[in-house]
Formats: sequence, structure tokens, C-alpha cells
Amino acid sequence: MTQDGDGIARDPEAFGAWLGRQLRRKGMSQSDLATALDVTRAAVSAWITGRATPRIDKVKLIEEILDLAAGSSTTRDEAPESSGYVSWHHRLAHSDGGRELGNAAAFAFDSSLAITAREATQNSLDERHDGTRPVRMRFTLHEITGERLRRLQEAIRWDDLVPHLEAAGGSEQKVGRMLADGLHTLRETGKLLLLRIDDYNANGLTGPEYDDGRFAAVVRRQLDSHKKGPAGGSFGLGKATIWGASRFGLVIVNSTLSDPHEDRRERRMIGRIDLPWHELDGVQYAGPAWLGNRDPKRESAARSWWAGERTVEELYLTRGSADPGTSFLIVGAHDPSGEASTLEEMHTVLVRGLASDFWASMVAGRGRAPMVEASVEALRDGQVVVAEERVDPYHYEPARARAVRAFLDRTTVSQLTKADDVVELSVPLTVPPRKTQAGAVPIEHRAVLLVTPAAEGDQKPNRLVGMRGTRMTVFDRPVTGLPLGSTQFQAVLLAGIATNAELPADNAAEAFLRAAEPPEHNDWKATEDLTSTYARGATTRLKEFRKTIFAMVRSAVKPAEPVEQEGAPSILRDLTSLEPIPLPRTKGYPTVKSATGQVDQKGAWRIRVEIKLPEREDPWVLRPLLRFATRSGPKPEARWAELSAESNCEVSGDVLLFAARERSAVFTGVSDVASHPVAGQMAIAEVDLVQAKDASR
Amino acid sequence: MKQIMPYPVLVGEVTMTVHEVRLDDVALPYGMISEPDHTVALHLLDREDWNVVRLMLHVIAPRHELDTGPWFSLAFLATASERRTNMHSAVKLMMRQPGEWTGEMELHRDDHFGRVQVSGQLVATVDDVPGRVIAAVGQPWTVDLQARGATQRESIQTRWVNFAQDPELVWCKSDPWMVSTTDEAAVLNLNSGFDGLRAVLESPKAAERPIREALAAQIAVDMWTALFNEAAHRVGSREWPEGWRGLVLQRMLPDLFPDHSLDDALREIVNRGVGGIQTRVLHAAAKQARMPRSLGGFIRSLEKTLPEDE
Repeated sequence: MTQDGDGIARDPEAFGAWLGRQLRRKGMSQSDLATALDVTRAAVSAWITGRATPRIDKVKLIEEILDLAAGSSTTRDEAPESSGYVSWHHRLAHSDGGRELGNAAAFAFDSSLAITAREATQNSLDERHDGTRPVRMRFTLHEITGERLRRLQEAIRWDDLVPHLEAAGGSEQKVGRMLADGLHTLRETGKLLLLRIDDYNANGLTGPEYDDGRFAAVVRRQLDSHKKGPAGGSFGLGKATIWGASRFGLVIVNSTLSDPHEDRRERRMIGRIDLPWHELDGVQYAGPAWLGNRDPKRESAARSWWAGERTVEELYLTRGSADPGTSFLIVGAHDPSGEASTLEEMHTVLVRGLASDFWASMVAGRGRAPMVEASVEALRDGQVVVAEERVDPYHYEPARARAVRAFLDRTTVSQLTKADDVVELSVPLTVPPRKTQAGAVPIEHRAVLLVTPAAEGDQKPNRLVGMRGTRMTVFDRPVTGLPLGSTQFQAVLLAGIATNAELPADNAAEAFLRAAEPPEHNDWKATEDLTSTYARGATTRLKEFRKTIFAMVRSAVKPAEPVEQEGAPSILRDLTSLEPIPLPRTKGYPTVKSATGQVDQKGAWRIRVEIKLPEREDPWVLRPLLRFATRSGPKPEARWAELSAESNCEVSGDVLLFAARERSAVFTGVSDVASHPVAGQMAIAEVDLVQAKDASR
Repeated sequence: MKQIMPYPVLVGEVTMTVHEVRLDDVALPYGMISEPDHTVALHLLDREDWNVVRLMLHVIAPRHELDTGPWFSLAFLATASERRTNMHSAVKLMMRQPGEWTGEMELHRDDHFGRVQVSGQLVATVDDVPGRVIAAVGQPWTVDLQARGATQRESIQTRWVNFAQDPELVWCKSDPWMVSTTDEAAVLNLNSGFDGLRAVLESPKAAERPIREALAAQIAVDMWTALFNEAAHRVGSREWPEGWRGLVLQRMLPDLFPDHSLDDALREIVNRGVGGIQTRVLHAAAKQARMPRSLGGFIRSLEKTLPEDE
């Protein structure tokens, strides 16, 4: 083949990959194209593998055969979607008549919006691309109505889906009822809520369409955790919660790949809906369906497509930067737990959930980047309802974040002396050998326990948080049985590779604890995985570990010395206390209920006093005292120039006589300026009551 | 007693925290600082020779109210005072940002003896008068130089002594217990030379509990009566006596004069004289000793054992 020297020749590889893609899209073989162009099959093969490029006249012919606009081979445009290549492809029912009326993986979880956020973030953390930069998570809630809604529905071929949704919603099963309810609400309110979950600096959905890889793990398979490295099980059970957050089980995905597929990185798109088994127009469908290009080689399957920028825009899936990662658009998002219903509530649930699960992953050491950053924003028809909030670990978990920060900066201490000190302790964990390693011996891992005084006003002090790997919160529980007078605290346990010690035992402990986690990753206990993988005694080792942790926390916060008085028999201890007794609420003597007043022009205090009296047959006789407050020593007294009764009492000289059985009384008084020890304006006045002998009776 | 201010003062609360304590530059374990009790327990074992305690203080006042109020030239003064030694000192804290002050307060070993109250006042220029107090710390801190744990409370010291071998107590060597007092402390001496006293008081047997409690109540009645009279004799004017005497009076006066306020009840002692109130003292001492309850339990226990004896 000759080189024509025009645009194509500059990048033969890219042209070849493009041509290969177009052939696959059309379902055309290399020999089909060779026949149509009147060239040999070997020539077509050479173009596709990039060994040669066709002449310009052949290129024009190729564009014509492939139904493409003239020049698209130069610009490498993909097939315009308006030509109807992208559509829903439904999986036909199993030939054995088996019916799936719901997604078992979704039922394995307590579903809630917070758990969706947790699983999505965990998956993204496991797929971190550049280890020196954080994975950035963005959660965007967007409620759309009117034309925005219609335009999105057109973009996702909603009208083609509706008959299927109605058919599936007709069933009496749990999933069916949820679908019917979702459709009903959408029609009634004309509102659709979208939840978009983006990660940046993650690997993206790389790999082939069907074979092993991240793409297939997320889009094609159930219960495939595609486990690698420190993963807590990336894209295993957890991804079901992403689909579970949609009322329709409908999620559209746009991924920017870290590793090119078919020579392309940006805007790899696919949609998936998880419906239960249903029957429509006499055809039985298994349930799941994919939005994408028809795959001529596979019945009822769809391939991902490379979308144009406009399509991505219409799907609200335009990514904020070229950084690799994936954006999930959850169509018809809701909180399955029913906890949050408004945009504001959902925003709060997401922020709180992310803060409590990932605060530790968001903390970075001095001069370092954190593992993850996350933000949440809520919009209604393009208008901001709740501004984007970046989840700040120091705001939501001040004491714990301080503990992890001190650990990362190596500023921990061995004994608490300051309110912001962090004590670092080492907790042994004996990791038993796996059953498959015959004759292997247990390894000892040293986990890191951090204890710090709780922040002021902490509503839930005295708790222990456990984590490993990417420092996601695994458990958060109270520490009980604390010695009396213990410091209020927060404790954090870092186990496995979260200890940053980079010892072989850390990896062993990491795997051991991962096996001890149930699918929800919220505890370390004797799971089936643990007992089937590890040698006898694994459960006991775990129990020992836990017991040691709690004991070490207790001893770290115990008061400096036991509160004990030597010598005194315990029976006498209570009887020899000199602590003041709290005064009763209702007092047996008259009290000043309220005293108000100011200094007048002449410098005299004008005071009005309300008195509360215990009810008594014998009338009270009281002498009001006006004194000037001092820091210490006797308080100088001032005389009254004038005393007058306002209610329930009468004045007799310098005493007040109260009526029998009266419960309250009011009097007013003016001080005698001549008796002031200092100018009235310069001192604080006090009013007190003294019982007096009634001179008149 | 109610106070009336001749100028506007702050309504919101001013809170103070002790962030760190250093004893001659050595940081104290945080367990000796009790945030809930607002107490710092300073007494370190084997460490009598220290000179200076330095408290790191942090004060917060309601910023919004300060911004909108009629106060100018705000300053915060932290104060330390001890009634026992009549020592008062103040130090000005630095304003970190509006409504927030931090600083250090030093307590010198020579100036203090027991419990030092650490508090503070917010002062400002009001109506062109500088330095007026517009707020005080709501819950002051106590630095206890004697206590070993941050939660220890004030109480009367109790000790076992063999009266026959103690030169101060040998004159009453046949007595089971005796109260001795100094200005600093009131001590309850239990005679370890008195046969069986210790065995009964410290017996762990549940069956002997009624006897133990009745005996303890009897000791307590004697002790409180003696202490009250000792303290009441020191009351000359309307001033409360210092130390344990004031505390004893404060505990017992509400039982002596239930229809008088504490200050007013103190006046009654002066008015009537110690001799005129003895019957009331007996009543208040029995109440401190929880005599009715203990004796009731003892009598009930006798009823149970009597039939067996027959």
C-alpha cells in the first residue's frame, strides 16, 4: 500500500483501531469490507493493524459503506447516535424457565443512601490510580422537571423502557411494587431525582467488554469482586447498592479510562437496568437490560459505546476533568431506608455518612495528600439548593481526626498530658496460618491503638473505632467498664496495612481481618470466610485481640491514682464528708425572687424586689438589707431612705410585715445616698433578707 | 441574695477550660485534669519540692453578644484565690480572636496550701468607665494541692491510733474515739487499742451490718456535735469561718434553722449564743449521722435474732 500523505497517514494505528470499531459496530467482517471495496482481505487486515493506510478514494468509499459523514475517518468521529445505534438490549429469559424476581446481592445489604455512598467510595478508594494524589469523590443530587426531564428521558430512550417497567411493575413481588410506585410518583409529580457519583483519579472501567476486567466486573457480573491488592472487595457485593439507590434499578455510566480500550479513553458509556423477570408482548425477559450498541456477535447483548460530548451533556454525565474515573448516574434516586426524602435531607445524609465512614481516609499527614476527598452538592433544575460541601473530617470528628493526624505526623506521645494529646499504643494480633499452608506458624502483627481526650461538647464520647487498609470505619462502638473518674476520650484502632509499618505481618493481618468482615464491612467476627480459610483457633485469636484492645483503652484513660482514702473504715466514709449539700429547690425560708433597679440622678439606688415566701400561718417579718458587693471581706451596708410596700406586705420602720399564708410580695426602696460607702454608680448592689423580731407585736 | 448591676452586663455564659498543667515544666498526666468536675489534682506522690504550677487556660465568651453590646476595650483577667492563705492573684489573658482568650496562670507553691479557685472576669469600658466587670466564669476550676485524684472530695480525716501510745491522746486512752482539731483540719481518731472496735467497724460480714451501721452512726453523732460546737464558738460576726469550720456549719445549719437562709442562720448563732441552740445541734448531728435509719436497722435486726435466743 502506498502512503497518500494526507491526514490519515499521520496516525495509522489510530485509523486502524477506528476502522476496527466501525466494522464491529456494523457487524461487518474484514472480508465483507474487502469484497465491497474490491481489495484483498489481507489489505483490510493491514489497515486495521496499522501496518498500512488506504488511498484517499478507498477512504471515501469506506465512509460511504459504513454510513458515515464524509471526512469522519479523518476526524475519527464515531457513528452519530442519532442514527439509532444506541438502544436498550434486554436479556431474554432463561430457557429453563428460571425467573429472578430481584437482585440477591441487593437484598444482602441493609439499603440506604449512606450505604450506597459508603460502598461507592470504598470501591473508588480501592481503585485509586495515582497513589500520590487523593481520589476525589463528588456526589451531586439533582432534581429535574419539565423540559430538562424530557430531554434526559429522550437521551436514555425512556419511552422504550416504560413498557418493560410497567410489565415488571405488574408483579406482586417486592421489587415489582417498588417499580410501580416509582413510575406512579414520577407521573404524579413530574419530578425525577438524579444522583450522580463521580470519582476522579481512579482507574475507570477498563478492560474488554465481556472478559475479566473492571468494566465487566461492574457492568456485567454479580458478586464478582475482581479482588486485587488491599481491596475490601472492589465492585463485589457493594456495587449492587448503586443500582439499589435507583427506584428503577437504572444507572448510566460514563467512564474515563486510565488504560485505553480500543485506543480511546474518554466517554466510555453504558447503561444498565436491573428489572425482575417479566413478560412483554408474548416474549419473556430475564430482567437486566443494557443501553449501548448492538453486538452483532451476541444475541440480546449491548456493547459500551464512545459517546459524543453532546450526548454526555444530555445525560448529565459530563466529567469535570480529564482525570480517569467513573461517573454513575442513578436515575430515580431515593433513600431506600426512607430516612431522607427532601434534597436537603439527602444532602445531610450523604455528608454525615461520608464523614462517619471515611473521616480517617480524609485525614492527611503534614505536606501529604489525603487518600480521599469528598463533596456533596444539591441542585434543583440547575439551581443550587445546597452549595457544594467538602466533607471536613476535623469538623465532624475533631478528636478522632486529630488522633490520626498525630499518628501520620508521628507526634503521638506515651502518656496523656494535654487536652489534645494523642497516646499511641501497640496491640498484638496473632494471625493463624491458612489451612492451605501446611506446617506454617502463626505470625504476630502489631496494630496501632490511638487514644485522645474527647473534644469539648462531644455528644458520644468513650468510643472505639476500628479500621484497616484504606482507613474506612469498620466498627464504632462504646467502651464500657471504665474506671470511675476516667478521662472522656475517643479511641482509634489502625490494623493491617493501615499501620503503615510495611511489614509482611501487616499484609497477613489485613487479609485475616478482611476475612473476618461480613459483607457490610462493619465488624470483625467469626465469619464463614474466616473459619473456612484459617486454621483452628482463628476465632479465639480474634477474641483475644478485641479483649486486649478494650483493656488497653481502659488503662490508658484510667485516673492517675485510685480514689481512695486511707485509714477510714468504709462504713464511716459517707458520714464524714464535708462536701456542701445541694440546696433544695423549694426553700424553707423567704428568698429574693427578683431584684431590679438603677441609680437615679441623685446617685441613689432605686430598687424593686419581688420576694418568694414559704406559706406559713405565723406571718413572716423581714428586714431587707442593701449591701455593696466586695471581692472579699465584709460587705458594707447602706441604709434605706425610703421603703414602700407594693403588694402583700406593709412597711413598719425598717422591717416588712407580711400577711399570713401569703406566698409572694413586692416592695420598692430608695437608698440613702449619705450612707453609700462609694458612689452608687461604681458598685454592684446586693439585696438580702434577714428575719426580724416584729417590734409592733 | 440577689445582685443588681448599675450598668449593662453580659447575659451569655463564659466558659473556662484548663488545657494543660505543667509542674515545674513537667506536664501532668491528663488524668489529673478532670473536665467534668472542673478540678485539677496537683498532689504528685514523692514530689513535695516543686515550685511553680503553670495552667494553660482557654476562655470562650459569646462572641455575637460581645459584638453587639455597649462594651469597649474588652479584657479577660484570670484570677486565682485561696481562702486559706488569703492569696489573690490575677493575670491578663491574650485575646486570640473575638470572644476567645488564652494564656498561662502561675501558682507558686509558697502562696498556696489546699484548694485554689481559678476563675476569671471579663472587664470592659462601659459608659466611659473603664475596667468594669461585665461577666465572670460560670463554673470556676479548683486546683487541689492535697488531693491525689481529680475527683476526691472534702472530708474529715479519719485515722486509727493506739491512744495509749500517742502522747496527745493518752489522757483519754480508755475512750473508743476522740475528735481533735487544728485550724487546718478536723481529725476523727479511732482507738485501735480499744478491744474489738476495729473488728466490728471493719467486719466484712453482711450479718453484722446493722451493728456496724449503728456504731458508725453513734461515732458520727459525737463527732458532728463536737465539731459544730467548736466551729460555732469561732463565729464572731456575720463572717463565715475559714476551712473545715465553715463547711461543717454549712452542712448543719439548714437542719438547725430550716426557715432561715444560710447567712441568716449564721446570724442566729450569734443572736442566741451556742448554749441556746444545743437541742437543735443534737438534731442536726443525728441527721448528719443518719441515726434514724441506722438505729432502725439495728432494732429490726434484734427482732430477728431474739426468737432464736429464747
